[in-house]
Amino acid sequence: MTFELKRRAFLQLIMGTATTISASAPFAGALAAANDAATIGWPNDVPAWDPNQRFTPDAQPIFKAVFDQPLDQDPHLKLIPHLIKAWTLAPDALSMAVELRDDVTFHNGDKMTTEDFRYTFLERNKSGLKLDIANSMRKVDDIVIESPNKATMKFSSPAPTMPQWLAFLGSYIVPKNYIESKSLDNFLKSPIGTGPYKLAEYELNSRIVLERNDNYWGPKAKIARVTIQIIKDPSARVAAIQSGQVDCTLNVPVREVQRFQQDSEYIGEINPITRVILINVRNDLAFADKNVRLAAHHAINKPALSKAFYGGVAVPLSVLATPGTPGYLSDFTFKYDPALAKQLLAKSGFSPDKPVKIGFATTNGQFPSDYDIARAIAQMWKQVGIDADVQVIEYAKYFELNRGNKLPEATLYSWDNATGDPEIFSGYQLNPKMPFSPWKDEDIGNRVLALFNVADYDKRIAGYRDLERYAVENGATMPLLQSVVTVVRKKKLAYTKYGNGWLLPQTLQWS
Amino acid sequence: MIATIITLIARRLVAAIPILLIVSALLFCVLRALPVDPAAMSLPPNATIAEIDAKRHEMGLDRPLPEQYAIWLRGALHGEFGQSIQFHRQAGSLVATTLPATIQLALAAMVIAAILGLGGGLILFRVRGTILEPAADLFSIVLLSIPEFLWGLILLFVFGVALRALPFTGEVAPGLPVPHITGFLLLDSLLIGRFDVFLSACRHLVLPAVALGLAFSPTIMRVLRSSLFDVYHEDYIQQARLRGLSERRILVGHALKNAALPTLTLTGVQFGILFSGTLLVEVIYSYPGMGNLMVDAVRNADLPLIQTIGLTYCVVVLLINTAVDSLYVVLNPKLRLR
Repeated sequence: MTFELKRRAFLQLIMGTATTISASAPFAGALAAANDAATIGWPNDVPAWDPNQRFTPDAQPIFKAVFDQPLDQDPHLKLIPHLIKAWTLAPDALSMAVELRDDVTFHNGDKMTTEDFRYTFLERNKSGLKLDIANSMRKVDDIVIESPNKATMKFSSPAPTMPQWLAFLGSYIVPKNYIESKSLDNFLKSPIGTGPYKLAEYELNSRIVLERNDNYWGPKAKIARVTIQIIKDPSARVAAIQSGQVDCTLNVPVREVQRFQQDSEYIGEINPITRVILINVRNDLAFADKNVRLAAHHAINKPALSKAFYGGVAVPLSVLATPGTPGYLSDFTFKYDPALAKQLLAKSGFSPDKPVKIGFATTNGQFPSDYDIARAIAQMWKQVGIDADVQVIEYAKYFELNRGNKLPEATLYSWDNATGDPEIFSGYQLNPKMPFSPWKDEDIGNRVLALFNVADYDKRIAGYRDLERYAVENGATMPLLQSVVTVVRKKKLAYTKYGNGWLLPQTLQWS
Repeated sequence: MIATIITLIARRLVAAIPILLIVSALLFCVLRALPVDPAAMSLPPNATIAEIDAKRHEMGLDRPLPEQYAIWLRGALHGEFGQSIQFHRQAGSLVATTLPATIQLALAAMVIAAILGLGGGLILFRVRGTILEPAADLFSIVLLSIPEFLWGLILLFVFGVALRALPFTGEVAPGLPVPHITGFLLLDSLLIGRFDVFLSACRHLVLPAVALGLAFSPTIMRVLRSSLFDVYHEDYIQQARLRGLSERRILVGHALKNAALPTLTLTGVQFGILFSGTLLVEVIYSYPGMGNLMVDAVRNADLPLIQTIGLTYCVVVLLINTAVDSLYVVLNPKLRLR
């Protein structure tokens, strides 16, 4: 009898618990559906809460919610005032006068001044901290403070793109007093900025909860609370939006977006952005021969790649610039011509029966369909007489291999440029002093280095347009496609679309 | 009994020292043999060769391997396991943040595996010699052949997407706070009196825990069934029958207690494997545990973090084995010292 009673009570307890757990289902769902909250399924966590530390393109929209940049971009990527309300770049680009807003406070109430500006863009780099921002601000020799709102940046050599860089990766003003008084470690645990959201909660690899900053100097965010759920697996992100656990997600497979486009409850978007998919090449080994390089480029059917992997939305490129950006050449096309490719290879003694052998490195999962694109290209090359050995590398390994001169002849690469400026497209990609490209030829290298010091904007842009054409015609680079970002959202959730793919929490709103 | 257990634990702790030293040394050497450069990876991409060499010297990577290990060991004994290349935080601190979630998941999964294993084993034994035996056998083999990550995907699709019955991302619903007292969310939510957070955490735990539990329960089922077969040949079972006890009473009241001992040992071993098996399930369910962190660390070649997590797995398995052996002493009077 006693045993029977115990067993009955145990079963009742189990049933009761199961009922309670499942009955709590509507509760959590209701919160997410409220008009003052939204949940985004995000592919990656931030590397750390120091926004100056690492140049991570995926983290920029999150940083832009909590921190502010000195300058900003409008949705068409035009440079606009932000924390800096006025700026004047000297004609020789050796200095830049800035005037900051005087109505900006950090989340702890401290006023933002030129002291914070100087601390962020000069003192932190000179203190020995290994920050990625030291790269973009390497020309900053001094920042002379004239008042709490006015300062002048002094450069060691012409810095014509400093305004662009003040709106780009890692350029967020951080609070000098807060960091120096509480220590950097404490800042990393409880970061504060001047942004439209405050960081309310952070769980490593799990979620970021943002709460609206009601004292924000600019337009207030429409949604009071945004939860960024870190969901690394693309299939899990698809499942999350489909089941309603998130209201919006991005970087999901193109075929899934096309499926959601048929569903009236959702909006699926495939948006071209200012990111280039290209093949970085060496100027030695099997690619020392210009015929081989040009043949490899002529053999790639870029529209076919776009159709196969991006639903035809990714724009085929002939230069290292995307449509609508200053460096883009609408009147230049590097044609797909496998017959010409074979002719060029034949001049160097190669053919489909006697192929030239090259190495071809690619990431797998770093950007959508990267590995599949590499394999498709390898097949295209095989048709003309190039035998490519496809090798998978981790993105983290790319720079190390490049530094050690160990990359193979060709590497599939993706290059993000939220500013759209050509210096950050071909200037960085072809600069022999930078770690991004294995191309180390002096001719093109010298042309690039010269352009870094051209102060006149029109002259500089014209120079880059010439460089891009020259580089492609000489086989120094193989631009392939304009990359895309995929977004799936609930129909009633709108956001402002940016040409660089930013999905900013502060632009979300329910209709 | 207490004395026996204390002696056992003390012996295990002493034995753990050389085991941990060997495992840490092996991990250290294997990771250093990989073709990655921690110095280069901890600097911005534009770092010069000279800067990388300086960093390499600062990190001691230009010293002989035994000396590097000694430096690491000295730091580890002071609780410093190196700085994560990716997160720029102490690796130990990152592991400490994520370990409770994995322990919570593993414990929940083990409870489910034990309940399913126990129940399933009893059923498998009860249907022996009947028309249901082949079907039950086949069912347990099918369960055995499905790995945990596949269960994870199946359950996600069925209960998360198709039926929308349970959540499958994260630890708790958006809009609910995550208290930080012990690090164990279920416990912390009760400590602060937030039953809504507790329920949400339970709901988020169900699918990943069941996925793991389903994958590990068939082994327990089959071992229990085998043990029962052995135990049923003992004389005391016949005696119990002669005394007029029902078959159910004999099975549950007499045979099970003795058959449970080898099953318990296996369960302990399984727990160690289950603990490391949380890795893929955590990734599928975006569960913020140590497994998820390990995947990040491997993708970014974050050697200090890989080393620290690997060592943590080793420590946890050692602790589990010690706990299981202690429980064995409690259940088996023959093992107690006089």
